[in-house]
Amino acid sequence: MAEERKIEYPDLKAGQEFPPTSFQVDSITVADYLKAVGEDNVMYRNTGLVPPMAVAALALKALISAISMPPGTIHVSQEFEFMAAVSTRDTLTSQATVSRIQERGKLHLITVAVSVFNQENKPVLAGKTGFILPVP
Amino acid sequence: MPKSLELKEGASLPTVKKNIIQGNINLYAKASGDFNPIHIDADYARKTPLGGTVAHGMLILAYVSQMMTSAFGRDWLSGGRLNVRFRAPARPGDVITVSGSIRRIEKGDGYQMIDCDVLCRNQNDEPVITGDARVKVGRQ
Repeated sequence: MAEERKIEYPDLKAGQEFPPTSFQVDSITVADYLKAVGEDNVMYRNTGLVPPMAVAALALKALISAISMPPGTIHVSQEFEFMAAVSTRDTLTSQATVSRIQERGKLHLITVAVSVFNQENKPVLAGKTGFILPVP
Repeated sequence: MPKSLELKEGASLPTVKKNIIQGNINLYAKASGDFNPIHIDADYARKTPLGGTVAHGMLILAYVSQMMTSAFGRDWLSGGRLNVRFRAPARPGDVITVSGSIRRIEKGDGYQMIDCDVLCRNQNDEPVITGDARVKVGRQ
């Protein structure tokens, strides 16, 4: 299967939408995540509940995979809203849109909005990610 | 919500302290799918202006979420908001302290909206993440 071509970031345009991505946060991923961040809250023990930042991380993964970011890219800001608890049984769909591109001297400031919905089309997470990238 | 947290303006949130270890950064890369070499490849990272590997910003932000979950429980998962800036990288060997305080409480019909300041500092007291968090406690 041919690898999907990444979008070169100078080609990004404000309003540009990325294809939606579906994913599930299974119990193994939750366990890996909990171990990685050292989270021991009993709320996640054998409940199927997914930490909201695990959902966020996987939603951003899809976005980062779609854009060819140059060396020197810096993640400068992040907003998240957690709207509904997510379980390992949920099938999630992530949608991303370039909401703003600004040029300041030798730098680009790019803001990307992300929304995640569950299988009932209920919003579970929304966010905005700010990157600084060098102008090519 | 944990019974130990007193809901009043000025109250401190339960502090979270984390040692940044390359092994955990590698685990986070696996869990998140973010294998940017700046996080996991020491040889690559050494040749960059950063001079060495750094933790994912989202990993440090996960610690903020951990603090909020500890303070507000399930209300955070279905009614929490974060708005932060990444101020400095966190590196292996750093000790990150996550702290916060309740800045404002707004009472609604059967719920309270809690506005908090949040801060991640390293062992040199340098800010790594600054920002605010908001959570709706009560009716969702």
